[in-house]
Amino acid sequence: MSSGPPDQIVPLNEANVVVGPDAPAEITVRPRSLIRIVLLENRAAMIGTIILVITTLIAIFAGVLAPHSPTEQIGPVYAPPSSKWWLGLDDGGVDMLSQMIYGARISMIVGFAGAAVAMIIGGGVGIISGYFGGRTDIALMRVTDYFLVIPDVPLMIVFAAVFGRSLLNIIIIIGIIYWTSTARLIRAQVKSVRERVYVKRAQSLGAGHNRLIWKHVMPQVVPLLVANTVLTIATAIFAETYIAFLGLSDPTKSSWGRLIQNSLTGGAIFHNAWWAVVPPGLAVTVVILACTMIGQALEDALNPRLKVGHLSVRRFRVRPFSARLDTR
Amino acid sequence: MRGADYVIKRSVFALVTVWVAVTLNFILFRLLPGNSVSGLRCQACTPQFKEALIKEYGLDKSKWQQYVTYLGNLLHGDLGYSQYNNIPVWDAIKEPILNTLPMVLTGTLISVVLGVFCGILAAWRRGTLTADKVNTWTALAFYAAPTQWLGILVIFYLAANLGLPVAGIRSPDLGILSTPSTWEVVSDRARHLILPALTLGIGLYGEYAIVVRSSMLETLGEDYVLTARAKGLANWEIIWKHGLRNAMLPLVTLLALSVGYIVAGAIVVEDVFSYPGIGLATIDAIDHRDYAVLQGIFLVLTIAVIFSNFVADLLYFKLDPRVTT
Amino acid sequence: MSRELLRVEDLHVWFELDGGGELHAVQGISFQLSEGERMGLVGESGCGKTTSILAMMGLLPPNASVSGKVILDGVDMLEKGEETVAPHRWHDIAMIFQGAMNAFNPVKTVGEQIAEPMLLHGTASGKSVASARVRELLELVGISGSRATRYPHEFSGGMRQRAAIAMALACQPKVLLADEPTTALDVMVQAQILELLVSLTRDLGLTMILVTHDLPVVAQVCDRAAVMYAGRIAEEGPTSTLYHDPRHPYTRMLFAATPDLYGDDAVISIPGAPPRLDRELAGCPFQPRCDSAFEPCPTKEPRERSFDGRHRASCHLNEVPTGATAV
Repeated sequence: MSSGPPDQIVPLNEANVVVGPDAPAEITVRPRSLIRIVLLENRAAMIGTIILVITTLIAIFAGVLAPHSPTEQIGPVYAPPSSKWWLGLDDGGVDMLSQMIYGARISMIVGFAGAAVAMIIGGGVGIISGYFGGRTDIALMRVTDYFLVIPDVPLMIVFAAVFGRSLLNIIIIIGIIYWTSTARLIRAQVKSVRERVYVKRAQSLGAGHNRLIWKHVMPQVVPLLVANTVLTIATAIFAETYIAFLGLSDPTKSSWGRLIQNSLTGGAIFHNAWWAVVPPGLAVTVVILACTMIGQALEDALNPRLKVGHLSVRRFRVRPFSARLDTR
Repeated sequence: MRGADYVIKRSVFALVTVWVAVTLNFILFRLLPGNSVSGLRCQACTPQFKEALIKEYGLDKSKWQQYVTYLGNLLHGDLGYSQYNNIPVWDAIKEPILNTLPMVLTGTLISVVLGVFCGILAAWRRGTLTADKVNTWTALAFYAAPTQWLGILVIFYLAANLGLPVAGIRSPDLGILSTPSTWEVVSDRARHLILPALTLGIGLYGEYAIVVRSSMLETLGEDYVLTARAKGLANWEIIWKHGLRNAMLPLVTLLALSVGYIVAGAIVVEDVFSYPGIGLATIDAIDHRDYAVLQGIFLVLTIAVIFSNFVADLLYFKLDPRVTT
Repeated sequence: MSRELLRVEDLHVWFELDGGGELHAVQGISFQLSEGERMGLVGESGCGKTTSILAMMGLLPPNASVSGKVILDGVDMLEKGEETVAPHRWHDIAMIFQGAMNAFNPVKTVGEQIAEPMLLHGTASGKSVASARVRELLELVGISGSRATRYPHEFSGGMRQRAAIAMALACQPKVLLADEPTTALDVMVQAQILELLVSLTRDLGLTMILVTHDLPVVAQVCDRAAVMYAGRIAEEGPTSTLYHDPRHPYTRMLFAATPDLYGDDAVISIPGAPPRLDRELAGCPFQPRCDSAFEPCPTKEPRERSFDGRHRASCHLNEVPTGATAV
C-alpha cells in the first residue's frame, strides 16, 4: 500500500462517468493534468485563455503595436475615429488606441503582480494556518478577521497619501487588501487534505513537516490556488479601476482605469465622444470575464460532487413496449 | 430561549470589532501627512492662528492623549469638526446620509430581485443556451464592468431615452414659481435617484445571480428533493416548500456581507451622477483634504458594515436550525 | 396462496449520455411479487438495482427513457410515464432511500415532513389528525412521539432511518421499496432496523423489495431474492434455494465471497469488474469473470430456464439436459 496520493486522472468527459445513483463519491486529482484537461475541454476556459494570452501579448509588444505616442497630442481634442486614428483622440488630443495598448500593459502588470502578492501572502497564511492548526491557526485567523474589517477605500486613500501614487504602491495595496479570502480558502483545503489517511500514514512513517507539506499537501492545494489566483487577477484589475476613480493612480501612466476616469473628468459625455468612453471599460470587462471563465472552470473541475438535479421541467421518456420475451 | 447566549456572544464580538475599527480609523488618519489644521487655507490663517487652533484641538498633545480624547468624544456623539465646512462633522454628513439611504436601498432591491430571478431561472434551466449560459454570463459581464463606466454608459444611452435627469437630487425649477406639493417633491426626488440606483443595481446583481444559481443547483440535487418528488409533490410545490428556503440561505448572508461592496458602488455612482449623498461627500472630502469629515464618514460606514455582519450572523442562526452556538 | 400484487415485465432503462450514445442501465428485468412477500434485489454497485426501483416509481431524470410494464394491482403504472405513475406515489408504493440520513430537509421538523404526504394525498383530514398519526407512526418504529417536533440533525443515524421508515408508511402503501436501508449504519443498529422491517411488513401486510449488496441481510429478511448483474436478472428464487442450489455461477460466487465469521477459509473475491453498459454486449455478460465459462458463453446469450419452486436462472450450464425444463 503506497503512501502517496492516489493517482487517478479525473474523467471530465461525462460520458466516462457512470450516470445514475451509483456514481463514485470522491475523486483526487493530479494537478498539472487537471489544469491542462480543463483548459482544453471547457470551451469557456479556452476562450478565456486565448483572450488573456492576446492581451498579454499586446501588453508586451505595446511599443511595436501602438501607432502613435500615448502621451503626446497629435490632433484636436475629442477628434472622432478616422483612418488616421482608429479610436479617435481623447480630451488631450492623444491617440486613444495607443493609450489603450499601453494601458493593457499597466492593467496586466497590476493584475498579475497584485494577484501574486495576494496569493503569496494569502497562500502562505492559509497553508501555515491549516497545516499547523492549534494556536497558530487561531492567531492567524484573528489577524485575518481584523484585516477584513479594515475598510478598503480609506486604506487606499491613506496609503496613496502617505506612500505616493506609484504603480508599485498600487500593487502592494491590492495585495494587502485582497489576501484574506485566499487565506481562508486555502486554509480550509489544507485542513481537509491534512485529515486524509495518506498524510497521516506518511506522518506516522516519520516524514518531516517540510516533506509532508511539499510532497503531499501542496499537490492537492495547488489547483485550488491557481483557480483562486486567476480570480484574484480579475479582482486586481477591477481594483485598479477603482483606485484610478479615486484619483489615486499614477498620473504618468495611462491605465485603462485612468482612461475611464479621464472620460469622466474630461467631459466626454458632452462631446458625445463614445470612443473615449467605451473602449477602456469594455477592455476591462472582457479581460475580467476571461479570468472568470478560466477560474470558474477550474473551480468547477475541482468540485467532484457531480450532483444530478432531481427536478426538471422535462420528463423521462417512455418507449413503446416491445414484446421481446423470447430473445433469451 | 434558544440562542440567547449566541446573541450575546455575537454582540460582544461586534462591539469589540467596532472598537478595533475605531482605533484603526484613528491610526490610519493620523498617518496622513500634516494634520487637519495644516491644510487650512484662509485669509486670517496666520501661523499664530494655526498654532492657537492646534492648541485648541489638542493636536499638540501626545498621540495617546489624542486617542483618549477621541474615544471620549465619540461616546458623546462628537465626530469632530470639519475645517473646510466650518460645521461639526456630524452636521456635515447628516443630510448626505439621508440622501443616500433611499438610493442605495432601491439599488440593492433592484440587484436582489434581478439576481434572484436570473439565478433561479439559470438553475432551473441549467445547460440551456439562453436561460442559463447567456443569462449567467451577462450577469457576470455587468458585475465585471467598472461601475463608473456603467454609469457613464447609462447617461449616454439611457438617460435621454427615458427622459430622466442625470445630476443632483432636485430639479432646479422645482419650487421656483410655487410651493411644490409633497407628491411633487417626492416624485422629483424619485426621478433623480432612479438612474444612480439602477446603475448600482445592474452593477451588483451578478454576484447574487451566481450565488443563487449555484445554491439552487445544489439544493435541487439534494436527497430530500428526490424524497419530496417520491412523496408525490409537484415540481413547483417542491421548489416553493423545500427548495427556496434552503437555496436562499447563502443569499441572506451574502447580502449582509455585501454592504462593503454596496458602499463602494454608491461612492462611484454618486460621483458620476453628482448625487449629493455620502459617497459624493467622501469624494469632496478627499478633494478638499477634509480629513475630519473623511474620518467621520468612514467610521459611520465601518460601523454599518460591522452591524450588517452582526445581523447576518443572527439571521443565519435563526433561519438554519443546524447552526449551534 | 396470496394473490399477485406486483408484476414487472421486461423493464428497460436507458440514460442518454452527454457525448451522444446511451447507457443501457436496466436490460429487461421481469419478476412477480405476491402480497406480503419480501424480495431481495442483490448485486454489485452499478448493476442497476437502484435504477430499477427508481424506475418503478418513475423517479428517473429527464435524460432517461424507459420501456416495459410495472403492474400494481392490475394497473400498469408506467404506461404513459410520469402522468400515470405520479398518482401512485407514496399512496400505493413508497420508498426508503439509500442514505436516509439525507432524505430529510434539514430546515423542517421531522414531524412536518412525515405529515406532508398525508396532507397532500388527503389520507389525513387536517393538521391535528395528521399530527396524531405522525406520533403513532413514530411510536410504531420505536421513536418517542414527542420527537416529532425535532429537527433531523437532532436524530442519530439509526433514528433517522427509523423516521424514514415511518415516513414511508405515512399513506399506508401496498408496496415498500427499501434501498440499502442499513448500509450506513453500524452492525447493532442494522440488526434492529432489519427486525423492524420484518415485523412491520408482517403486521401491516406489506409487500417489500429490499435492495442491497449485502447477502446476510437478504438471508435474514427476504423470502425470495433476485440476483442482478449488468442490468439483468441472473437468477431468481427462494433465498435458501439460492444458497443451497444456485444455478448461476455469479450467485454461487457471491455467496462464497461472503466472509464466514468462524471459518478459516480465505476470503474469495470475484476478480474483475462489471462490463460497461454503454455498448451492446455479445454473449453472456458475466462470462469474462466466470470461473465456469465454456464454449458458447462469449458468443451466445444464455436463455432463461425455470426450475422447481419459482426458481429461474440464465446460464448456459443449465442447458445441459439434466433436470432443467425449457421456459
